[in-house]
Amino acid sequence: MGQVAHRGRRRAALAWLLLVAAAGLAAPCLPLPFAPAEPDLLAVGVSPAQGAGAGHWLGTDPLGRDVLAGLLFGARTLVLLTVPAALLTALLGALLGSLAGYGQRLAAPAPTWLLGAGLGWWGLALPRPALGLAAGAGAVAWGLGQRLWRRSPPVWALSLDALIQGAGALLGTVPRLVLVAAVATGGTLSLAGLGLLLALTNWPGPARLVRAETLRVRALPFVEAVRALGLPAARILGRHVLPLALRPLRADLPLRLAAFVGLESTLSFLGLGLPPDTASWGRLLDAARLDPAAWWTAAPPMLALLLTTGALLALSKK
Amino acid sequence: MGLHFLGRRLLNALVALWGLGSLVFLLGRYDQAGGPEQQLLPDGTEADASTESRDPAALADARQAVRHRLGLDQPLFYLSQRVPAAADGARWRWNGTANQYHRWLARLLRGELGHSLRTGQPVAGQLGAALRCTLPLTGAALALALGAALWLGQGLAGPRCWWQGPVRALLLALQSAPPFVLALGLLLLLANPRALNWFPGYGLATEDGLTGWAWFGELAWHLALPVVSLVLAALPDLALQLEAALRHELGTDYATAARAKGLGEARLIRRHALPNALLPTLTQAAGLVPALLAGALVVEVVYALPGMGRLLASAAALRDYPVVLGGVLLTGAARLGALLLADVLYHRADPRIRWAR
Repeated sequence: MGQVAHRGRRRAALAWLLLVAAAGLAAPCLPLPFAPAEPDLLAVGVSPAQGAGAGHWLGTDPLGRDVLAGLLFGARTLVLLTVPAALLTALLGALLGSLAGYGQRLAAPAPTWLLGAGLGWWGLALPRPALGLAAGAGAVAWGLGQRLWRRSPPVWALSLDALIQGAGALLGTVPRLVLVAAVATGGTLSLAGLGLLLALTNWPGPARLVRAETLRVRALPFVEAVRALGLPAARILGRHVLPLALRPLRADLPLRLAAFVGLESTLSFLGLGLPPDTASWGRLLDAARLDPAAWWTAAPPMLALLLTTGALLALSKK
Repeated sequence: MGLHFLGRRLLNALVALWGLGSLVFLLGRYDQAGGPEQQLLPDGTEADASTESRDPAALADARQAVRHRLGLDQPLFYLSQRVPAAADGARWRWNGTANQYHRWLARLLRGELGHSLRTGQPVAGQLGAALRCTLPLTGAALALALGAALWLGQGLAGPRCWWQGPVRALLLALQSAPPFVLALGLLLLLANPRALNWFPGYGLATEDGLTGWAWFGELAWHLALPVVSLVLAALPDLALQLEAALRHELGTDYATAARAKGLGEARLIRRHALPNALLPTLTQAAGLVPALLAGALVVEVVYALPGMGRLLASAAALRDYPVVLGGVLLTGAARLGALLLADVLYHRADPRIRWAR
């Protein structure tokens, strides 16, 4: 019986999410009488009962903007922002987490490092570019000399694991909301910019999951067998380890989406991030504070937000 | 052994804090379109500007003076881009120590956080005043949330009872609500002249002449809704996690042995299972200390409390970088301190844990 209820809940959650996504994607094509950001000054703060005749089916907010249009276009902003951002976060997390977990080290002989640094200096035209060329030439001479005397130069290695974990810990020192709010000053970010910011500040979560799973899978006997076959490390990681190591991301994706939905609406509510004329459920809720009697402005976006996050949380449960 | 470990963790924390501060400093100032000095000067389009400030040359002079006073005429970092490439082809210039970043770092090491660009007051004073409002709020919320989670977790994991189902459903529903929705919902429901007008909707107790219990009562009355919002936002994760951990512990062999000995379920939970189930909760609580500061951001905006979160949000919206940086550093320090404390408490809760070298 519990199984049936569980499946029903999953289906209901999926249906609601599909509805939100369809509404968001189809919003520009729907025959809405009003645009989301344009105030109708003849109908400011009218309730659904009064506004239905004039085409405001769900009423207008205290600034005269149509609530229904705000809801639909808010869903559009939500879908276009959170889905690509969550996918990008998962991608970034998978890449960095698997690299960290597989324990690859960027190892190269010291002259190679020196040559790379020198050429980089020259290529970026840092002060006195000739210095870079000189360092590169010195490195080549060093390598040749070592080879001539049949000695192997020292090998310098960079542990990717420590590097990636350190970067993750750095991002973890400040709560996400404070960090995003500190960088997204003013309503100045585009949709793509905010999505990128969300991905760049949130990758440590999925990366940690993938890293732990990679550590587990790496020790399994079949990986040892593949290594004994002599396959290169990149191929082992990409073809054999990664498909298994990515499994925790499937449960993580709905949670990440739920977190991004909450973050987007919070930022819009605070007036940070996206430009002020972008429709969003958070902005509708912000407008609802202007008139405590206008329950019709507060209730629909609140309900939609609760249902969406609730559905995403329900989907993430096995 | 402990001191060695603590010292290394502290060093790591300081490096992390430096990296974070530098990141926010450089990212925040990278796009100086308009620049912070615009806020200090009337822009030329304003109608009531006096004649000399409308004169473009005088305006440019004034702007230059403000930029010089704020140190914005210096380059941002040790390296800066040279727009026409130099004679030897170099496109980057080495600025030496005369740059904004170096100056900021040197002052920070001397303990100066600088002055707000907007009000001209010292940042440390502003942060202190904001903390005096935020700390009672978050402190009370943290204590209440932890207490309620301990109580609810034990109750939910205990013998079957009629109230467990509804409470669990309520916690799951609360889990899916972002903090600002909770705060706004409570505000519109319980502090609304058109609905139930039981609580004040904004601000702190400001009436003068109140002392002792009267003052405390007024403060509690004003803080009740914000604290409840924060508790409701933090409680579900804590309580559900503790319940799951307790259930796991109650299924182990030592719990069966204790039951066979004739121990009652309540005593078994409190004396035997709870200490072992507390470790994940400690981690969560350590993560909650800074998260409460961030959650307080939303709650303070909704209830118009002059606290840390609102200071940070308004400073971020108006590009008041010194205040933003001070707040980020303070929050980061709180976070790292909480993590250190959690490590120490781990050891107290479970002496088997050894600190890795």
